[in-house]
Amino acid sequence: MIKSFLLGALLLLGACASNNAVITEGGSPVQIRQIQTRTYDTLNKRETLRSVLATLQDLGFVIDKADYDLATISATKLQDYQIRMTVTVRERDSERLDVRANARFNESPVEDPRAYQDFFAVLDKAIFLTLHDVD
Amino acid sequence: MTIRALVLLTIAFLAACQSLPDDAFRLSESALAVREIQTREYYSISDAAILSASTDVLQDMGYAIDEIEEPLGVLSASKRADATTGFQALGSLAMDSVRCVFTFMLICDGKNYSKLDDVQDIRLTLISRPQLGDKNNVIVRITIQRVIWDKKGRLSEQQTVTDSEVYAAFFERMSQSVFLERELTR
Repeated sequence: MIKSFLLGALLLLGACASNNAVITEGGSPVQIRQIQTRTYDTLNKRETLRSVLATLQDLGFVIDKADYDLATISATKLQDYQIRMTVTVRERDSERLDVRANARFNESPVEDPRAYQDFFAVLDKAIFLTLHDVD
Repeated sequence: MTIRALVLLTIAFLAACQSLPDDAFRLSESALAVREIQTREYYSISDAAILSASTDVLQDMGYAIDEIEEPLGVLSASKRADATTGFQALGSLAMDSVRCVFTFMLICDGKNYSKLDDVQDIRLTLISRPQLGDKNNVIVRITIQRVIWDKKGRLSEQQTVTDSEVYAAFFERMSQSVFLERELTR
């Protein structure tokens, strides 16, 4: 019994331990970039960034930073939890743009592909509305 | 017994690690209604002039501008403000007093009073963009969040503000500022 509690306590402490490894921790770059990135060939950089802003506002985020030249937007959502998100837009070639989003939920990175699928589904709608001149 | 202990510990472990809600990146049912509350259109004005009028309004209300990016029409601002309400404070003081009396002065720690909301950090983002059909008209959308701290400096609440009256009051001030901005640039 005591041994189990000790093991469990060690497990909890291990989960909450703060060490230098967390500074550079992360999964496989290829896999992570794949789930966090979508390619669009519809709007220009400015309108894509505006669509990202509309998406973030629709999802209840407040914008922390926005930079048009670097095409980077950071935002925070506060509910019973906190989500921090950064979205970047990068030219893949002359016709296509890569939109990459990464998020942190409280103290952990969001690695669930479904979360990013949900985000890009909302962004798809925002881009569609912009394309079809709907405010 | 060992299994029971492990199950208990597993539950404790899972409780410690709050997981991402399924709907965190999905539009809520009220998203469209909230968008309407948070949005206004302004006619015959540039989005740069709107940002200028917005800055004035925010300064009027004591906000500090944290971020402004004109090419994207983004403006973020924040302020720290009082979060106490007289009614709440009176109620807590009354409860603490009653507890103190009924425990014959043994428990007079002001527990309820210390849990009272004390200050709040308010953050907002205003995004202006030219209307797609008519570039002379500008659509403005504001989102507001706040974090409330109690008397002991502990996090009491964090929320996105969706109260329509707050946004209506903001846009009321905004309309006045847009009017003044038009007069200035005429």
